[in-house]
Amino acid sequence: MNLLQQVVNGVIIGHAYALVAVGWTMLLGAARLVNFGHGQMYMVGAFVAWWFMRLTGLPYPVAVVAAVLVGALIGAVMQRLLMRLTLSRDLVSLMIVTLGFGQMLEGAAGLTFGARPQTLTSPFQSMTLHFGAIWFTVQDVILVVATLVVFLALRLLLNATKFGVAVRMVAEDPVLTRLAGIDIARVYMGIFAFEGAAVAFAATLVAPRTPILTSMGFDQVVTTFVVVVLGGIGSVGGSYVAGLSLGLFTALFGALVSPAYTTAAVFALLIAVMALRPGQLAASANFAR
Amino acid sequence: MSARLEIENLRVAYGASQAVAVDRLVVEPGTLAAVVGANGAGKSTLVNAIANWSRAAPRVEGAVRMDGEDIAGRAAHEIVKRGLQLVPEGRGVFMGLTVEENLREGAPSDAGPGRRSYSIDDVYELFPRLRERRSTAGGSLSGGERQMLAVGRALRMAPKSLLLDEPSIGLAPRFVALLLRTIRSLVDDGLTVLLVEQNVRAAMEVTDVVHLLERGRLIASGPVDEMRDDPRIVEAYLGGGHG
Repeated sequence: MNLLQQVVNGVIIGHAYALVAVGWTMLLGAARLVNFGHGQMYMVGAFVAWWFMRLTGLPYPVAVVAAVLVGALIGAVMQRLLMRLTLSRDLVSLMIVTLGFGQMLEGAAGLTFGARPQTLTSPFQSMTLHFGAIWFTVQDVILVVATLVVFLALRLLLNATKFGVAVRMVAEDPVLTRLAGIDIARVYMGIFAFEGAAVAFAATLVAPRTPILTSMGFDQVVTTFVVVVLGGIGSVGGSYVAGLSLGLFTALFGALVSPAYTTAAVFALLIAVMALRPGQLAASANFAR
Repeated sequence: MSARLEIENLRVAYGASQAVAVDRLVVEPGTLAAVVGANGAGKSTLVNAIANWSRAAPRVEGAVRMDGEDIAGRAAHEIVKRGLQLVPEGRGVFMGLTVEENLREGAPSDAGPGRRSYSIDDVYELFPRLRERRSTAGGSLSGGERQMLAVGRALRMAPKSLLLDEPSIGLAPRFVALLLRTIRSLVDDGLTVLLVEQNVRAAMEVTDVVHLLERGRLIASGPVDEMRDDPRIVEAYLGGGHG
């Protein structure tokens, strides 16, 4: 067995986890909101890209842009529909309603795209790079670089732009933010649109690795939830580290112990973290770090 | 230039209990009016209702006019954009943002006729202490610095009228004097200010008009020189020292 190859795989999967989770991290950190339809939005992002390529015949990068735009639109529509719940931060209702929203997306996707597994074809998936005993694809490189760019850009956005400061104001005290003349409903809409766009972007980069199914959303919700919780609920830097760690953990656990028990091990890890450091799991005011 | 602030038949209720019932309260352009009264008289409820801003979402009825335009019932951020600015009681600053980030959000420099806009540098001119602390988080400031920052944040929105809720609370006396003197200078420059204060003696030093609020109602109003000798104020708040 090639341990180095497993580390490389872990780094790649880890970046995938982090990129898929970044939208939810922002949602949770800035808006203190949850979206249990996140995984289905991932699925829709992948299928929109696939469908777009099939209908138009345009190349993969154009499909990525199309999926991101549709994702942002879904996020914005979701915020409009959930306006009252988001403004009152009614978390229990939001959990149930977003779960239902995800089921609706899954049903609609099943009707539109069919139940058969499909393949989102990226030309970069078949380009492989070999370095001695290890190998990876150009798609993997794009995924890792894109994840780094998204996380760094998000940090810059939150700390150095006017909108970013408004997001941090809403994160700390939405009621007080109104007195700065800011329409907080619009800030929430921006956050939801980012969540939708980010998860669709992640889907288009990650999905070419495996066949896609309209029922694949739920697994993504679970993994994302683990990353967000491990990262210290709503911390941008934390969720990057958590995604990377989880990727390495699953790759090494799968290689060294047993691939069959990887998911169970991830949950054991989640429970252990929640039991050992519950105090640090509270969303912090410094989520932009 | 300055705005005339006019409040009529304002009723504020939490559930079934009426907290404030003010029939008429006018702040003339470019003057300072102080609403004084005991703890729980409804002072904060009154100014919050004028700005249509509250964490408790009470029921508000009545008219709030600025230069004749009724702004009651508009969303809080819309009222801010029209030039009526509240500095709320207690923490009016963001703890997780630096001083400079707190001051970042402001009205455009062409906010409209009769509105003086303040750049971040203008705020630093007014409160030099804030310039020294520009990279410090709001949560690490002293009470006095925090209140300066809260006023600075408010000025960044280029207000025509300013509502100040207990700016002196928890401050050392020298900060109270500095803050109220600065507010007086803003009024002399044309700003219309409605000040809510428990520190009656300090408020008397700077205000033009005094309103006495008791159980949500205005029970006495008048120019400061008359009100200084009003027995209800002398007994309850000035300890007879001015008699």
